[in-house]
Amino acid sequence: MTLLTIVLLACITFSTRYLFLEGRLPIRLGPNLKHLLSYSGPAVLIAIAAPIILVHDQHLDIALDNSYIWGAVVAILAAYKTRSIYWTIGLGMLVFVLLNYL
Amino acid sequence: MNSQRGLLGALSKGTVDMLPLSLAVLPWGILFGSLAVQRGFSWLEAQLFSGIVFGGAVQIVTVELIADNASLLTVLFSSFVISSRHFLYGLTLRERLSPKPLRWRLGLGFLLTDELFALSGDRRAYKNRFRLYYALGAGGSFYLAWNLWTFIGIVAGASLPDLTELGLDFAIAATFIGLVVPEIKTLPAMVSVLVAAVASVGFSLWEFELGLVCAAILAMLAGFVTARLRRTAL
Repeated sequence: MTLLTIVLLACITFSTRYLFLEGRLPIRLGPNLKHLLSYSGPAVLIAIAAPIILVHDQHLDIALDNSYIWGAVVAILAAYKTRSIYWTIGLGMLVFVLLNYL
Repeated sequence: MNSQRGLLGALSKGTVDMLPLSLAVLPWGILFGSLAVQRGFSWLEAQLFSGIVFGGAVQIVTVELIADNASLLTVLFSSFVISSRHFLYGLTLRERLSPKPLRWRLGLGFLLTDELFALSGDRRAYKNRFRLYYALGAGGSFYLAWNLWTFIGIVAGASLPDLTELGLDFAIAATFIGLVVPEIKTLPAMVSVLVAAVASVGFSLWEFELGLVCAAILAMLAGFVTARLRRTAL
């Protein structure tokens, strides 16, 4: 029974991922929808990242001792200045870890 | 020979680029493995979750629901709600991936997590063989990592401390910042990202299940409308 549930769950996650990759699905993306979708990448990623930084234990955490905020500020500056993902992660993590463990 | 070296290079570049995210989900993989075992699932079932369902939030939520004897319909519906954001990923990548051979669509479709979508922003993503192998390296290595972390959680979960308090999730945020910030080149893009941040935090405080998808759609509409308004204003 549990096995069947797991297989059904796999069908759900896979079909939500695969559905629109199927060419035979009779939909065509018009110019408006394409324009709209051009924002989807950054929109989704920031919608995942912002709560990680600002919401802790179901509360808005904008205190000065929230090391996620300082790490994020440094990461944003590093990303803007260097345009390098490696510098962004490196400097952001460095500040985050220093604030957390010193 | 040369092209084979190139494809191997693409696979390993994808693996390396995914590494921060593969490591960042370690606490959740371990959490899932140990949670599943504690909640009475067999080792095989717990590993099967990560092996074929392959979705962090879906796995953790449904394991709790099943253990609490929720109805099958509730379990399936919850997983559908959490997975619904993938429709957005598929739509976004449809133009590039739908003409590809079936085995690529099935393979990369299966591997299309938040993390793989995050690395799909490049204009040339999925366009040529090199880019397909790059995605396979990124998505495939993430799959292996997630399953390895699950396995560690299953075997050693109870004896390990809770690592989710360690702050490794910051690596996810930093990676996404590094991917997004250089792409903000226009006012509409800027507006869209700001709306995404505000809306997602709001929905998250409100504990709204569809918050991620709704925040993303609001943000996309905000960018779209801003671009329209600017065009008519000029």
